[in-house]
Amino acid sequence: MQIIIQGLLLSGLYALIAMGFTLIFSVGRVLNLAYGAYLLIGGYVYFTISQTLGVPKLIGLFIAAIVGCMVGLLKYRLLVKPLKGNHVAVEISTLILAVVLQAGVVFIYGDSSKILLPIVAGVTQVAGASVTYNLLAATMASWTILIGLYFFVRKTHVGRAMQAVSMDTRGASISGVDPDKINMFTWGLSGALGATAGVFFASYTQLSPSMWVAPLIISVAVVIVGGIGSIIGTLIVAHIVGFMEVLAVAVIAPELRGVFTMLLIIGVLVVRPQGLFGREEL
Amino acid sequence: MNLRLTHFLMWLAFIALMFAIPEFVSKGTLRTLIFANFLAIFAISWDVLSGRTGYISFGHPFLIGIGAYTSAILTKRFDVPIELAIPAAVAMTMVGGVVVFLPALRIKGSYFALVTLAFMELMYQLVQVIRPDLTGGTRGMSGVQTLTRGAVNGYYLSVSLMLAVALSMWLLMRTQLGTALSAVGMNEESVRGSGLSVTKLKLFAFLTSAFVAGLGGAFYVHYLGSIAPRALFDINFLFTIIVAALIGGASTIIGPVIGAFFLTFLLEYLRPYLPGAERYFIYGMIALLLYMYEPKGLIAIFSKGWQRLRGGAGSEQSSAS
Repeated sequence: MQIIIQGLLLSGLYALIAMGFTLIFSVGRVLNLAYGAYLLIGGYVYFTISQTLGVPKLIGLFIAAIVGCMVGLLKYRLLVKPLKGNHVAVEISTLILAVVLQAGVVFIYGDSSKILLPIVAGVTQVAGASVTYNLLAATMASWTILIGLYFFVRKTHVGRAMQAVSMDTRGASISGVDPDKINMFTWGLSGALGATAGVFFASYTQLSPSMWVAPLIISVAVVIVGGIGSIIGTLIVAHIVGFMEVLAVAVIAPELRGVFTMLLIIGVLVVRPQGLFGREEL
Repeated sequence: MNLRLTHFLMWLAFIALMFAIPEFVSKGTLRTLIFANFLAIFAISWDVLSGRTGYISFGHPFLIGIGAYTSAILTKRFDVPIELAIPAAVAMTMVGGVVVFLPALRIKGSYFALVTLAFMELMYQLVQVIRPDLTGGTRGMSGVQTLTRGAVNGYYLSVSLMLAVALSMWLLMRTQLGTALSAVGMNEESVRGSGLSVTKLKLFAFLTSAFVAGLGGAFYVHYLGSIAPRALFDINFLFTIIVAALIGGASTIIGPVIGAFFLTFLLEYLRPYLPGAERYFIYGMIALLLYMYEPKGLIAIFSKGWQRLRGGAGSEQSSAS
């Protein structure tokens, strides 16, 4: 029971983390290796605004999301667009950028990790498992955002345009969709999602300059295994990964928490490169 | 083969320059140079695989780590003489190269890069958990037997190794085999269409790259005398290798060498101003700008500048220090 509850909560957080990465991968077809840096930025911006300056937490979260969005837009303008079409170059330059941002954080905040106070304080007992309200809030936020995103992509004009660009860029532009605008929008959205996820992730673990690597690997796993650009696939695989981690920690050893995730990535990529739920649409 | 006398003269000048360096510089600089030499070896190894065939490996520390760990474990835990441990480590790394090669049969591009990244992270986590009595767990190992004493000897060893690797790779790439490897990077289908076995060519590239990585890794650990998982299986380390190859100029031999020296010295000159990890901020920014400005690397900038000066053929040679 404890495992199920913890698995559900962790998976919710992972789904939130992976969502922004999925968006970029399906619409822009590029691997944004600096995605983890959004989480980093989100976490630290929130830390500065809410914990150091004492601004209310929701406003802090909001500002973190906006900063993430700005970073995403800048990244698209300055990095991805000039290198358009060259996926390898985008991947490498985003990797470099991630390291630069990490160093920037070290520059401003120092090397040591910081504890982020829970966004929602308190602990409750559910069926013998202690559940922090914080993780619960993260999971609920994650579900709300995911459901919202699902309907956004399905029902609104912009969402459909995103789908169209992800399927066929040229076809979309013939039908009067500006792929550039849609890409901009997606990068911004992805940045905002990443930064929001970063705040929750940082409050779940802690704030440190190297905290971007683990979420990046998780989102890579979720996106790869789930197949490109399927929101439902992302959700399901986030739960697979989350439960595997919780199980590995509970049953085998805490040190092995990431091993099965890696094995899953390698296995799925080699056996079924299109992913378990792979579809070429959003 | 297309070998010309001028090429050999340039190599001779380069080798002579590299061997003359200890006469002119201080011990501290020499230590920096040793790191630059090792970085150059790793960058060449990365370039043989990724720069040529286009299979971007984000898991190169995985291969280097296998080499380093095998040699360190053999010498420290089993008292195997170093002369045997290093070949064994190289052989082990080549096995690792085959492991990395297997996914490349089916997937390419971004997916391949991700698998190799996963390999690296997997190795990082496994090394700490499985047989910590052998690997030293999270803290790694220290007191590994070293090959040389003092900066000057270390420099000669590393520079000889680096030059040997660079020269043999350069010769290899001048053969038809090397041309075929580059062709795989440009268009796999047409290589297959020309009746060449792409699989064999890829396997060869992976094995060569693993060979160099294992050699570099094994010698590196016997130079340092210690090894730790976080220093080895690290994105920053990976980043340095890839950036060295790309900044210098991918698909050349001298490019990664130039890149490695450039980056090591950049990092070293920043040290007085920014002591900690903040250096990577400037360093990464410079790398990013250079990469955006000229994806072919410093070597392209140099040869363009040279052409503009002379109006003649581009030159590969440049001062390395």
